[in-house]
This record gives sequence, structure tokens and C-alpha cells, in this order.
Amino acid sequence: MRGTERFSSLHPVVTVCYFVAVVGVSVLLMHPLVLGVSFAGALSYALYLNGWANMRKTLPGLLVLMLVAALFNPIFNHRGYTTLGYLGDNPITLEAIYYGLASAAMIGSVLLWFVSYNKVMTSDRFLCVFGNVIPALSLVFSMVLRFVPRYFAQAKRVAAAQRGIGRDVTSGSWYARARNGSAVLSVLLTWALENSVDTSDSMLARGYGLPGRTAYTDFRWRDRDLMAALGFGGAVLVVAVAMIVGALRVTYYPGFVVSSWSVATWLALGVWTALCLAPVVVGVVEEAKWRSLLSNP
Amino acid sequence: MALVAVQSLNFAYAGSQREVLRDVSFTIDPGEFVLLIGQSGCGKTTLLRHLKTALTPHGRPSGSVMFDDRPLEDIGLEEQTRRIGFVLQNPDNQIVTDKVWHELAFGLESLGTPREVIRRRVAEMASFFGIVNWYHRDVETLSGGQKQLLNLAAVMTMQPDLLVLDEPTAQLDPIAAVDFLAAAKRINDELGTTVLVTEHRLESAFPLSDRVLVMNQGKLIADECPHSAGATLARQDDPMVFALPAAVRLALTLDEVQLALTASPTTPMTIREGRTYLRAKLAEVGCESAVCTATTRSMTDQRPSASLPAPSSPLLLTSPIPPSFCAQSQNPQSQSLQTTVIEANDVWFRYSRNSEDVLRGLDMSVNQGEFACLLGGNGSGKTTTLGALSGLNKPYRGKIKLLGLNPAKAKGMELFRAGLSVLPQDPQTLFMRNTIFDDLDDAARAHYTDKSARETAVEQVAATTEITSLLRTHPYDVSGGEQQRAALAMALLTNPKVLFLDEPTKGMDAFFKAKLASVLHRLIDNGLTILMVSHDVEFAALYASRCMLFFDGSVVTEGAPREFFVGNSFYTTAANRIGRGLVPGAVSVDDLVAACRVPRANGGVGLTASRSMASEGRTTEASAGKSGLDAATRSRRVDAATSRSMTGAGATVKSDVPES
Repeated sequence: MRGTERFSSLHPVVTVCYFVAVVGVSVLLMHPLVLGVSFAGALSYALYLNGWANMRKTLPGLLVLMLVAALFNPIFNHRGYTTLGYLGDNPITLEAIYYGLASAAMIGSVLLWFVSYNKVMTSDRFLCVFGNVIPALSLVFSMVLRFVPRYFAQAKRVAAAQRGIGRDVTSGSWYARARNGSAVLSVLLTWALENSVDTSDSMLARGYGLPGRTAYTDFRWRDRDLMAALGFGGAVLVVAVAMIVGALRVTYYPGFVVSSWSVATWLALGVWTALCLAPVVVGVVEEAKWRSLLSNP
Repeated sequence: MALVAVQSLNFAYAGSQREVLRDVSFTIDPGEFVLLIGQSGCGKTTLLRHLKTALTPHGRPSGSVMFDDRPLEDIGLEEQTRRIGFVLQNPDNQIVTDKVWHELAFGLESLGTPREVIRRRVAEMASFFGIVNWYHRDVETLSGGQKQLLNLAAVMTMQPDLLVLDEPTAQLDPIAAVDFLAAAKRINDELGTTVLVTEHRLESAFPLSDRVLVMNQGKLIADECPHSAGATLARQDDPMVFALPAAVRLALTLDEVQLALTASPTTPMTIREGRTYLRAKLAEVGCESAVCTATTRSMTDQRPSASLPAPSSPLLLTSPIPPSFCAQSQNPQSQSLQTTVIEANDVWFRYSRNSEDVLRGLDMSVNQGEFACLLGGNGSGKTTTLGALSGLNKPYRGKIKLLGLNPAKAKGMELFRAGLSVLPQDPQTLFMRNTIFDDLDDAARAHYTDKSARETAVEQVAATTEITSLLRTHPYDVSGGEQQRAALAMALLTNPKVLFLDEPTKGMDAFFKAKLASVLHRLIDNGLTILMVSHDVEFAALYASRCMLFFDGSVVTEGAPREFFVGNSFYTTAANRIGRGLVPGAVSVDDLVAACRVPRANGGVGLTASRSMASEGRTTEASAGKSGLDAATRSRRVDAATSRSMTGAGATVKSDVPES
């Protein structure tokens, strides 16, 4: 992603704040338009980042999950006064269906935002954000990321080596397999303990444990980050104010009522749309710029 | 004014009576490049660890270690961290974090350096070492050589005055090792950093150094310039002479008397110097002066003249074991009697549908009782070949037959019950008990149910592999070479008919290699077939019965060691490179010595005869293979160079995948 996509090249702190903002608003507000916009933004960004080919595997599962959420509410929640029919003795109400759809949109958009978050927030970006807060934690996190894959790779090597001298984990009786499996674990454990001595030597040799450790990150705070942060902050502020003054209030029970369609509502919705679509729009505009640069000699 | 001054240092580990260091004294001046050599277990590592308080082992030290004219223990940990950099042997174990850039910053983070300074230092070192292209990568995706270079760079970001390298190239392939040593030398040359390095690969390390320290059983037995160090070793009859560069050994054997008396400042060390030296010596032979007396002397001693060095030689610079059984495989009669136990026919393999082919039409066969060696560069697919032959990797085209079975179709452990045993590259993947004996006992359990029979078997195998004295030791407490032999013993306890060895000489010194070779020869004599995969050209030249060069997914050329290495010009022994065009057919230092000792008129007979015999019927194949190989090796070098400097190590790492 680095260098090709504008939004994820922002400072990790800005990126994290952005995701907290969009997810937070999506969870707090049940306004159907807010959720619809959030879902559209999350879906388009996830598709933009991962491509259709990769998302094709993720999307069906997500849709099923959303469908379950949408159906769950009307089946078990019988509030609301517009009864559409009965399932056994229980009334199915229009309001409950509306609420189910809204929660499905909320769940869907939050999950899709997390799909993008995962793609954008690589481990080093995560560290940059949390390393500032607790330096020791950032190192532990980095070491875990180093050692977990390493131990898995070694376990594979051990299993192959054990097979080479006639102990196979994948065949033989249940007892023999369990025995050989525990042998692999035992070898791995010994190996890990013995070799961690080297690691600790290497850390000591490079001054680990001296007081006043700093946490280095490779990311720099640029003007662009400040502008983006101010922009995002302003947008969230507008939505929050609209929320507080009741411009985005929606009630589902007992009747579905959208309280207000004032200027403030439309302003907030406009700002919210801009916020949700910002990553994709910025990315697409950037790409267009590249193309025009390439086509104009 | 010395940077480091060690005064009569003694040391014994806690709970042990044995003195590991005995009265060691030496000094290192600022800017020197000092090489510390000695056999495994002679105390090199213990000595190095005394140069940094954080790493000093527990025990009873006496004597003093001064750094920059102050006792080391009076220097704070912060200053020591900054000024004394340490790189250890295992590239993987030293890396702490998951990203290259974070690893580079680790030391500076510990020192509490401000972010801006870290950024600059990291940038400088990343540029200096050509890390820029893999700066953002996960360390797990790096090759072994890159990892070790990263460890070096991570220490250099702290701008140390002294750089201590403890066998830094032991786990690396030859090309990565040369690159690493070159990087260390560059630090020394361009930044003026003092370097103290221990090394087994003297062929490349010796010419780089300003001074050589030699240790033997905890004592410093030599401290001099590399030109004379060889002679001193020879005079003291130290086993380290076997490890010296081929050029040095050549000069020592031919000039033993003069060198022992006055250290010549012109001892040849590199291949180039060796060639100049050899040319001069051969000219002398032409005028029949000193050499004739040497010959007559050897004649009167009634020794076979051409094949052995002169009898008076105390050096014994020959291979410790005569490659006797090379003859066995060359003998056409015995060959026809032998049965083929490993056979591969047009084998193609790739790891996944979209990846590249690793094996491309591999054809090879190994006869019973052979010691076949598959040589080739890093990531060329040698280990993948072993995987295919042992049923781990299933080829999508072609046929493999091993002990009459098809490995890809063999069910479960059928192949291993039929008599295959594989010794993994890393012996530590086999050990799980508290003593080597227990591990061997476990390995024998499958084949010997009776307890006493099992014990006898374990003892026998231990005797064969020469680890009897280590049976009660924890497997992690013995050296790498001994671990390798203990693992070999475990593999042998399954009563194999065919044994696969993956890079068995990795990290071993010359002495342990010779010992391993003698063990392997004993096994061959008992009818075992061995297929070894290795980078180690010198080992293969001395001990294998047949060598195959693996390149681009198949065997490019093969032959008995002599004909094989004579046909190669880069991928060959140092002695062969020294003798190229001067002593045709020479593969070992002995061959060169023989050519200089004996007037060519009669003495050359033995050599030429054996050569012509060996090349019979193979000439066309060998020459065809040679030109292909030249191109191959050249491109490989270029690859290594570019991946280090410019284009990023994508290629190297990708090709490393099958290796791991």
C-alpha cells in the first residue's frame, strides 16, 4: 500500500482517529441514512483497498451475518404498533423489521471498517500509535510478532526432521501420533528455551534494560497530517453537534419516527458522507492525477 | 595507546575446575582488524565475552581487561553498549523485533536516543549496508546472510569503537559469508572501527586481517601478522594448520624449513598470491635444484613420491583421510555390480500452482555404497531435491525410485521402514531429552524392543560416530559439530540403508569436518549409501566419491571429485584455482605440493595417469558442463551482488524459500 494510496500514508495516529470516529458514529447513531452512508463508505473503501477478487471471499459471509441480524430482531422483538402478521403467536412488526435492518447495516459497516483497518494498520503503524503510550508494550508486541511465526516455522521443521528419522506425526496409531506430536512440542520447547539465551544476550549487548528507553517510529508528522486531522475533527464535531441538538434523532419504537429534517440534519449528513467517502475519493482523485501526469508528456 | 588490553586473564566457569582461559594477554590498537582463530571449544567465545560486561559468563575470572585505558568493569553499561558492539553466531536468534527498521533502531532506543537522532543514524547505516531496499520488510522474509548483515548494521547504528564478531559467518552459505566479511572489512577501512573477529573460514578471513591471534586449549599460542602466523602454527604442530588458506598451506609445506626459521613477509595468502608463488616454485623445479634433493630424500625414505608430501614434513597438510574409496566408484567392474538405490527421471516440482518450478527435469542416480554429494548455490533447490526424494515434496511430473519404492506414493512411513534416514540441516530439531544417551535410546526404541539389545545398539552407534564420551551430556551443551554427530547417531539407529545429509558441515571447523568424514567413511564401508547436499566444496572434494552440480533445477554436471572439480573454474577448491593452468588436474594442496616436489618429467606421471583415467568417457560431458557452469556461477555472483546493493533481495529471498 505504501506510496500508492494516499489515505493510508497518513500518520498512523490520524488513521486510528479516523477509524475510531467512523466506527464510533456508526455505533452511536441509528439514523438510517447515517448507517446507509457508513455502509456505502466502508464497502467502497474495503473494495478499493482489497480489490474485488479478495473481497469476493469475504462478502458472502458478511451478507449472511447481516441477514441473520436483520431477521433476528423481528423474530424475537415484538415491540412497535404496525403489526404485519404473526409467526405462531408472536406478532411481526414493521418497526422491528426497520430496527433489524438498521442493526444489520451497523454490524456490516463496522465489520467492513475493520477490514480496511486491518489492511491499513500494519503492525508498525499499530506500534507507532501505542508505542508512544507505553514503550515497553510496543517492544513486547513487536517481539510477539517476531517469535510467533518463527516458532510455527520451527515446529514445521521439527516435524519434518522427526519424520526423517522415522517418527511421523501424521500416521500410525492414535497413541503413536500423540506420542510423536508431544515429541515435536518437547523438541520445540527445548529449542525455544536454549535459543532465547542468545536473544537475551543480543538484547543485553544492545543495552536493553538501561533506563530511559525511547520508542522509535518511522513515521513523521507532516502538515498534511495536521490538515487531515483538523478536517476529520471538524467533520466529527459537526455530526456530534447535530446529534446533541437532536437533528439526527430517530425513534423506532413504538412507531418509526425521524424527528427532524432541518438544515442541521442535511448539513450533518453531507459532512458525514464526505467523511465516510474521503479515503476512496482521495484515492481515486490521486490516481486520476497520476494518469493525467503520465499521459501529459 | 591500546584500545583493548587484556592482562593475564584466567577464567573457569562456575562449578567447574577446568580453566577455560589460561593466562591470556594481548592488546588491540585502535583501527586494527584482528582475527582470532582456534579449534571449536578452545575458549574463543569465552574470551570474546570478557570484552563486554553484560555478556561475561559466570565464573572465576582473574587478571584484567582494560578498555580505552580503563578497567572494563569501571565503564558503565551505557558506555559499553555504545562503544562495544557485539555480533553473535546465530543470525536468527539475535534478531529481537519483527521489522528491519525497528531492529536497526533497537540499540539506540535502549540508549534513550531522541527520535530525530535515531532517524539519522538508522538512515546512515541502512545506506552504508545497502539495506534501503529491504528496510520496511519483515525480518522473517530475509535470507540468512541478510539477517546477519542486519545484526551487524543494528550494532553499527550505535557507532561503536570496537566491533566484536563471534563466528558471524558460521551459519551462512559461502557467498553470504564472503559478503559479510567484506562488510566487516569495509567498516574497518571506511569508518576506522576496530574489529575483532573469530572465524573458521580462514580462506577469506586470513587475507583481510592485520593480525592473527591463535588459541589452543585456553592459551594464546600466537599473536602476530598473518604472514608469519601460519609458520608459527606449523612449528607448534597445531591442528589449526589444516584450516589455513590453501596458499598458506602450500607455502608452508614447500618452504617449511625457511618459514619456520624466519617469518617471510611474503607468504602467499590469496588465490592470486598463491598462483604467483606456485609459478615461481614450478620454475625452480624446472631448473632442478632444491627440488631434486627433496625428491631424492623422499626416494631414499622409500615413500611413494607423488601422492604424499615429503616424509620429513611435520605438518601433515594432507587430507587426514586418504580419499581411498574414490577408486571404488571409478572402478568399472564394481560399478556394474552395484545396484542403483536412488533414481530420479525427469522430475519436475513446484511448491504451489502459481510459483516457479524448483526442480526442472531432474535426472540423477546414486548407486549402492556411494558417497554422492549434491553441490550448488544457495536456494538452487538442493534441499527441495532431498524433499522430493524422501516423499515430502510430490513432483507433478517424472519418476523417482528410492530403494525400489516411489516416494510420492509410499504410504506413511513405508519409505523409512524400507531403510531411508534423513539427517536434518539443524540437529537441534531432533533433541528433546536431557542427555544424548536418552535421545539415542528413544530413537532406537522403534527398532529394538529389548532393553539390553537397545543399549548395545546405542553404544555401538555412539562408538561409530565417536560420541561415546558425550553420552551423559545435555545435547545443547556440546559443540555444533558434536551435535551433528549425535544427530547422525540418532539417524543411524533406525538402521538405514540410505542416508540423506543436509548441509552437515555447516558451522564446523576443519577438525570436526575431518572427524565427520571419518565417521561417514566408516558407514560407507559398512555398505551405507549417502547422499549429501552441501555448499562445502572443499569437503566434497576431499571426501565424496561422486559430486553433482545442481543448478537451475537439475544436475548440470557430475563426476568423481577430481574430474568434477578440474572441469570447474569457479565452483571448485581453492587449490584447484591456484593450480589452474599451472598444475592441471590438481584438486588438493597435496597435488600442488607433489607437482612442485617432483620434476615433472617423471613425477607428473602419477597425476596425469589418474587424470586421464578419470576423464575417460566423460570429456565431452564435462566440457559441456563447464561452459554452462561458468555462466551459471557468474550470474549467481552477480545476483548476490545486486541483491545486496541495489535491486532489493527479492530474488535471493524467493529462491531461499525451498532451502528453509
